[in-house]
Amino acid sequence: MSRAPMRRFAMLVDTPYIPASALEVEAQKAFEPPGAGPTFGRRFATLALRGGALAVFLGVLIVFSVTAPFFLTVGNIGNVLGQSAIAGVLAIGLTIVIIAGGSNVVTGGIDLSLAANMGLSAAVYATLAQAGHGDGVAIAGALGTGLAIGAVNAAAVTLAGIVPLLATLAVMNVVAGLELVLTQNTVVPASGAFLSTLSAGGPFGIPVLAYLLLGFTLAVAAIVQYTPLGLRLYAVGAFPDAARAAGLPVKTFVAGSFLASGLCGGLAGILSVSYLSGSTTGAGDMLLPVVVTALLGTVFSRRLVPTITGTLLSVLFVGFLINGFQLLNISSTLVSGVQGLLILLVVSATTVLGRKENV
Amino acid sequence: MIGTAGNGEAIIRLENIVKHFGGATALSGASLTVVRGSIHGLVGQNGAGKSTLIKLIAGLHRPDEGRLEIDGRSYDRLTPHLAEELGIHFIHQDRLLVPTFTVGEALFLGRELRFPGTPFLDRGAMRRKSAEVLERYFGLALPHSALIADLSAAEKQIVQITRALIANPKVLVFDEPTAALVRREADLLFQLIRRLSSEGVTILYISHYLGEIADLCDTVTVLRNGRDVATLPVAKTSAAEIGALMVNRDIGELYPKPAVTPGEVLLEVDNLALADRFDAVSFSLRKGEVLGFTGLVGSGAKEVVRTLFGLDRPTGGTVSVKGETVFCADPAAATDRHLALVPEDRRRDGVALDLSVTENTTLASLDRFSHGLIDRGAGRRQTGDLVRRLQIKTDSVDALVKPLSGGNQQTVAIAKRLSRQSAIYLLDEPTTGVDIAAKVEIYRLIGELAERGAVVLVLSSDIEELLGVTDRVLVFFRGRVTRQFISSETSPDEVLADVTGAYETLRHAG
Repeated sequence: MSRAPMRRFAMLVDTPYIPASALEVEAQKAFEPPGAGPTFGRRFATLALRGGALAVFLGVLIVFSVTAPFFLTVGNIGNVLGQSAIAGVLAIGLTIVIIAGGSNVVTGGIDLSLAANMGLSAAVYATLAQAGHGDGVAIAGALGTGLAIGAVNAAAVTLAGIVPLLATLAVMNVVAGLELVLTQNTVVPASGAFLSTLSAGGPFGIPVLAYLLLGFTLAVAAIVQYTPLGLRLYAVGAFPDAARAAGLPVKTFVAGSFLASGLCGGLAGILSVSYLSGSTTGAGDMLLPVVVTALLGTVFSRRLVPTITGTLLSVLFVGFLINGFQLLNISSTLVSGVQGLLILLVVSATTVLGRKENV
Repeated sequence: MIGTAGNGEAIIRLENIVKHFGGATALSGASLTVVRGSIHGLVGQNGAGKSTLIKLIAGLHRPDEGRLEIDGRSYDRLTPHLAEELGIHFIHQDRLLVPTFTVGEALFLGRELRFPGTPFLDRGAMRRKSAEVLERYFGLALPHSALIADLSAAEKQIVQITRALIANPKVLVFDEPTAALVRREADLLFQLIRRLSSEGVTILYISHYLGEIADLCDTVTVLRNGRDVATLPVAKTSAAEIGALMVNRDIGELYPKPAVTPGEVLLEVDNLALADRFDAVSFSLRKGEVLGFTGLVGSGAKEVVRTLFGLDRPTGGTVSVKGETVFCADPAAATDRHLALVPEDRRRDGVALDLSVTENTTLASLDRFSHGLIDRGAGRRQTGDLVRRLQIKTDSVDALVKPLSGGNQQTVAIAKRLSRQSAIYLLDEPTTGVDIAAKVEIYRLIGELAERGAVVLVLSSDIEELLGVTDRVLVFFRGRVTRQFISSETSPDEVLADVTGAYETLRHAG
């Protein structure tokens, strides 16, 4: 009497699991949603985006080299590299934060305080130097300032649990305010042997700052892209649950990324003091170019993820763009328009691709 | 009380574990003893506390009360790192692999290979080693440059299992590992588990599928309502007995279909057609009848339901309710005609997560509970009744829907439609994703609706269930009704043959 219901029960429990006959396999297949898989489309789109970005980069170089006669000279290229050093160091700091925090534009990693950080660090350096302290003290002061700002960001994000976008926005304002208090909104001139070495020209008539940028990129790229530490950083940002399941301390990595970017802010502050022979106001204007550069960097990577080398390429791209515009006497207001447009393009392209991936 | 119990030595021992999340109690004194070298099954419905228990062992949660003992040593709590150090590894239900990583990177994350004497990653070695391990255990060759995002669900699952294997685990915990696998892959997995077991690895195996437990495990622990209700040797029990323990119910009560004498014709569909979708669909339903629809995707079964509810506009034929020809141009008109549709994608369309259970269930029928202002008391009373009948696990009718388990959220979505008290119910896959107890309650509810004189049309691809709850079943194939079965006089195999068109194919071939 209870025989039939028992069989039914077993079926009820087991039915979704494994089909009993070849026929059922077919039936189950038919119930699965159709679709050839998004892989091919995604790959193609990634390829198109990446190829497109490189093509635009080359196109810009060609157009400028044809229209502006000095564009492709060693002197000018060195010049662009040197001019890009400050933005480059900041963009690399931001890239580390984006890698560790994930590239979701709203909830992912971002450090909006970087430009203000550079401003304050520069002001600290210049003030210390003016007060008669040596290079060593000034350097330590600038880097310490950057690191402290990074620590505040790290605490706000990992301890207080504030979204990086908001946390670093708030810190940005505090830091900009501190800079005003310190400098009374004036230019603080600074000079010294160390600063002149930095701002001088190096071998082949290429500025020391250019060599610094390349060296710094190489060192950070080696750590981020070629060590276990870097791989873990990517895991933490791309899929925190997977990182946690692999036994990685996710919050420590995120905090560490903010410390690293803070340090980059301090370093950029020192470079800017040497480049401008002092601290100046208006560091906040660097924010947009730095964000553009870091976001644009992702399109230069095969997997469409932020990379240090990709960021360097995009630093050069933005640098050449600005330089070309200057050589052609095109208004600099246009430059920030182009930068804003680039943010929109890159962010929407990567967001759309990312969405496809998650289907 | 240190020392061993039973015949084998315990490698994992949890005693009287209590765990609360906010106001909800996930575990209320659960114990589990896993003997070294055994394949131990852990079963229970959604919300019985399986995942919480596993996460305690994984070190993702900390117990509020109780003892944790691994390998004879006591711990207040575990951390993911400590669990790994103790040799306990997990195959999670969600595939926790970074989508932008290569297979090699994903396999070795956390214990990366380096060039000897340097801090730098040896990606080549990781690639070679991963290819070798995948080939050895699974005979699987993946392209070198493949990213995790490019892999199929089964391949990801295999990568995740391999991740655990290369760590030389002492205990492997499988959390619903076959959910994404087809039979061949699942068979391979079972072979592998047996092989690992014979090599001395202890296995803790969590599954919904009792057939798997019966095939694979030596011992099974049944969890119900946050407690362990039984630990049995598999050889001395049956899938049915385990199932009965899980739901605490006699097996015969699974399809509680009351005998209802059909009344007058309530719904009559004549030659209904929708261009390119279905054609010449006719049937009539008497009060108290339950009719089943089944068919492959695109067979027209789902489209007929949509058309009846006014979501699609028919290109031919008529629909009559109580002898009166009606034309439902949109869902609002259908609702006026006392039709109610419970859609399949309930989790997306069905519930508002940030509203309470009462607010959700009364949302679609607010006019019944309001006279200018909403009569919250009446809404609560009715919701309380629905919560009891559908056995929705919630602290109160005023609790938010968000923290409820997935199955319970779906049950709330059904309750929302039921609260409207219509005459004709269209249920689209009413039991996908809900656990056994909730399924039984949904079946009971279908019977109750029929008893009260409503007409119920159930669309389901679970033929066994369909035959259990309906009076008749219509099989759709390529836009037509190819066959009608009397539910009590047929078998699932027979219906399935028609669903897949085996009969049609034969006729065409012959």
